[in-house]
Amino acid sequence: MKLEILNEIIQKKSSSQNFALLTNLTNGNSEIFEFGKFLSNDFESYKKQIENYHSLKKNGVIDGTQIFIQNFTKPIEVIIVGAVHIAQYLVDLFKNLNFVITIVDPRKFFITAERFQNVKIINDWPEEIFKKLETDSNNALITLTHDPKIDDPALKHALKNKFFYIGALGSKKTHTKRCQRLMESGFTQEEIASIHGPIGIKLGGKSGPEIALSIVSQLVLQSNKLLLNSKK
Amino acid sequence: MKKQIKRTILEQARDWFESDRKVILARVIQTWGSSPCPVGSNMIVNDKGEFFGSVSGGCVESNVIEECLDLLKNNNSFKQLEFKVSDDNAWNVGLACGGEIKIYIEKINS
Repeated sequence: MKLEILNEIIQKKSSSQNFALLTNLTNGNSEIFEFGKFLSNDFESYKKQIENYHSLKKNGVIDGTQIFIQNFTKPIEVIIVGAVHIAQYLVDLFKNLNFVITIVDPRKFFITAERFQNVKIINDWPEEIFKKLETDSNNALITLTHDPKIDDPALKHALKNKFFYIGALGSKKTHTKRCQRLMESGFTQEEIASIHGPIGIKLGGKSGPEIALSIVSQLVLQSNKLLLNSKK
Repeated sequence: MKKQIKRTILEQARDWFESDRKVILARVIQTWGSSPCPVGSNMIVNDKGEFFGSVSGGCVESNVIEECLDLLKNNNSFKQLEFKVSDDNAWNVGLACGGEIKIYIEKINS
């Protein structure tokens, strides 16, 4: 493989675009594939199959050919509201998974670069931030403050924009009250039920790292379901 | 405070290349039955025998590294490797899990 292809992959990965690497196993030639891009002679005649594999995010040797396709998909963007200690454990656990993390908190003393390294941090109210961020069903939201004036606007935004995962930290009692408030704001029972609250799968632990693990597990489970559904 | 930046396998490959190492990229291209690393998993090997990443979870790595070094020695640019169910007598090569994998190794060149 040529160094320039390697460099192109590294560069494209950081700009979070969907693309694929094609390799002709008979002569070793490789090139980058994106929808709408012109393909060289090595791959041109397999264009239809390549597009098909790429849209299904399927990696492998394309049936009946000697073409190997490896897809690079845009990582899922997770927005964490609340720069509390559980957020620090979350960042640790997420670092080896294909997620991009943004942490949001209006409270300046919580959200410092020393506490959160190598992730995007925004010191502002969720309401303000969501006016600027582009979000869709590829996003996930985790709210950790259990303070309605910080969490609720984020939850409302996530529900309206159909985030594939929405989780809210807080006891059953806190969550019941939260659901009540969302109902009063006009959200349907079904929409409210899509919020994972209390957040996380049941691991039985109470410590910060264990709660973080239960949240990450739940999010990974949901993201894998999303991927499976897209392949059907 | 110095920031720790997560280095990906491909970034490491580029760094090795830029510091004048010869670099081989190994990728899982096909699997049958149970295999620990999915298609697309990759590993890099340099001419010093250093490696990074994984293609099988420990079952065939040593053999892949040897093949990579042979590729360099013979001045070839790519090769396909196939690994099947392990033989009890050759415990260091083969997949104990009973799966089969095909690995494609190729040299990074300028």
